[in-house]
Amino acid sequence: MNLFRSEEHVARWLGGRKPGATIALAKLSELAHAWWADRVSPDWRPHTREQNQAILDRLDLRGDFWRLP
Amino acid sequence: MDARDLELRNATYRRFVELGRAPTADEAAAVVHWTAEEVRAGWQRLHQQHALVLNPATAEIRMANPFSAVPTAYRVHAAGRWWYANCAWDAVGVCAALKADGRVEASCPDCGEPLVVHVRNQQPDRTDLLFHCLVSAAHWWDDIVYT
Repeated sequence: MNLFRSEEHVARWLGGRKPGATIALAKLSELAHAWWADRVSPDWRPHTREQNQAILDRLDLRGDFWRLP
Repeated sequence: MDARDLELRNATYRRFVELGRAPTADEAAAVVHWTAEEVRAGWQRLHQQHALVLNPATAEIRMANPFSAVPTAYRVHAAGRWWYANCAWDAVGVCAALKADGRVEASCPDCGEPLVVHVRNQQPDRTDLLFHCLVSAAHWWDDIVYT
């Protein structure tokens, strides 16, 4: 789960491996804030799979790649 | 996760943030008033539930996501301190967890070019950079360190 300068750099780094998913940094920030915002809260409770999947879905991160087990 | 393990998990995270590093079992034990041995057993249960990640060789904390207990390629300055994050997602996640603006320092894995991102009010100041996730969600926890 890395940051890259451009699609060209992603492709070169992959070196023939099957690509995963590439998203803009702004979308990553939305995802990170939705996913981690409660992590050090004294009231933290474990997220359910459904809660986490809802975060991905809400950000339009859909399809088999983003489907949690 | 039962109430005792939830208490240990939240105390462990609280101490991580207070110390700026992973607490030892003795340090966590002092907070929850358990023995260090009980803490280590609790951490193993939390590891099994993906609530934190232990170093298999030492049984010490390796990850308290989004924080990394060991140096990584993702450094974050937030809330007056430097932190290590496990990946790019977690680097922004450190800002999210601390509810703070931050400065993320990394480098492009392809070319090594240093990358700096400021996160202010949850917004990154770079629109040119991309995040690539190689492993699909179904397999993130198959090998979380690799992921």
